[in-house]
Amino acid sequence: MTHACNLEGRQRLQTSIGAVLIQLSRFYIHTPRHALHYTHTHVDFRCSKYHPFRVIHPVRYFTSYIERNVRPDGRKFDEHRNIKLNINTIKSAETSALVKYGNTTVICGTKLELAAPKAEDPDSGFLVTNVELVPLCSPKFRPGPPSDHAQVISNVVSEIINNSKFINLKDLCIVSDKLAWVLYCDIVCLDNDGNVVDACITALTASLKTLSLPTVTYDPETEEIKVDTNNRISLKVNGLPVATSFAIFPNCERSILLTDPNTFEEEMCGGNGANITVSWNNGFLCGILKSGGGTLSIEQEKEAIKMAKERTL
Amino acid sequence: MTEAADLKECKLKHMKCELNVLSKSDGSAILSQGETVTLISVNGPLDIKVQNQSIEKCYLEVLFCTKGGRPSVPDRYKEHIIRQTCESAIMGSLYPRTGITVTIQELEDYGGLLSCAVNCACLALLNSGLAMRYVFAAVSCAVDETGNVILEPTYQEVMNAKARFNFVFDSRNKNLITGFSEGIFSEAAYEEALEMSRAASDLVFTFYRDIVTKYSNVI
Repeated sequence: MTHACNLEGRQRLQTSIGAVLIQLSRFYIHTPRHALHYTHTHVDFRCSKYHPFRVIHPVRYFTSYIERNVRPDGRKFDEHRNIKLNINTIKSAETSALVKYGNTTVICGTKLELAAPKAEDPDSGFLVTNVELVPLCSPKFRPGPPSDHAQVISNVVSEIINNSKFINLKDLCIVSDKLAWVLYCDIVCLDNDGNVVDACITALTASLKTLSLPTVTYDPETEEIKVDTNNRISLKVNGLPVATSFAIFPNCERSILLTDPNTFEEEMCGGNGANITVSWNNGFLCGILKSGGGTLSIEQEKEAIKMAKERTL
Repeated sequence: MTEAADLKECKLKHMKCELNVLSKSDGSAILSQGETVTLISVNGPLDIKVQNQSIEKCYLEVLFCTKGGRPSVPDRYKEHIIRQTCESAIMGSLYPRTGITVTIQELEDYGGLLSCAVNCACLALLNSGLAMRYVFAAVSCAVDETGNVILEPTYQEVMNAKARFNFVFDSRNKNLITGFSEGIFSEAAYEEALEMSRAASDLVFTFYRDIVTKYSNVI
């Protein structure tokens, strides 16, 4: 990496400390995990974010793992983190889902409201998705209006869901031009450890799949609306959209695809979330978004599409 | 090969470009692709707020102004796409602790606004003289109801399309830098669209070369 000359001082310091730490890290990497077991007060910082080598020289730290065909958290390049899904966690929401991808935690709640459909599209209801990245989830986010990054994630999630035709908006219409359901899906990220988009899609599909709509009777003459919450019909869904994200690490000869990246890996690959997100629904693609990171060869792109497809089967 | 290239040439919309249109900015370009027109100004490297400064590379800011003037979430997304594309092309490490601003003004949108904006951004960056790893070219295409791939669709074709794509390629190995899809489509359609766009990106690079030779009498 090129640095300007006034950076030289810092760089020299970094290299000297780095050289010591590289030696140190080699020792750590080559030593089996069980042999390095720290007792009581000592913290095992080999994989922790406080590892001095990682703090001072993050890129060297990362590449020293990648060169050995392993990721800093011990996963293989194409390995996912464990997924945990809990349905109906929030009692006050219509339906809700809590999803964990490793440390990444995302919670989704749905709300139902009645409204008049748009005049240009009188037979359709509304599906409004919103993703919030609260300051709680990462030190990168500050309180206040949604950041650009949050808006981008929000847009990506709603694009994937709308493109996949998971919900037919016509099903949300009760009386044409008069009454339709508005389905608010609020997704809040509680812990951002990378790959928020995939987690959001899982949370969203889980809560929509469990959703049932109350029956509504509408009197066209008196315009009276009666909602029967005891008599519910479950919402029709089409397939199950699954998004799979990868980070692309620009290595010298060949870029490396990292499945389900965590924050540190995302930072090493450009720092704006995952680089490629492939979404499948019902054997069709409903979104391939690539931005930033390294460049992909044709074979690697096919590989990414294939890996994403295997996940949907 | 020439026949195939000719065939594609008819399909790509006619491009017209002017550089240095704005007198006060460091680099500017106006580009029309068919009826779609965008105007871009590039300023930088500039002083920026301390909190945005990075000691490793320059901070790139992209502002997308629509014709209507009201900002929206999809505009933020377009900004994100263009920013990511420019960021991978600009040698940011040469300008640490500074900022580069790319301001995009939509003038007319008759389909393919995003690809026109990306191409215009590349020309404006070339004009500004910032160091770049490569130039990039965006090509848009659409898949219609019958599964045919249309390069550079018209406004009507965009409206009727089943899926729409925007691809950005680099000039070195024609690798995909940025890709963005809307709608639902099969894997085969995606690959066909990608290959067609990759081939068509050559025409955009040739166009860049023509424009630069026209404006610089040194090279």
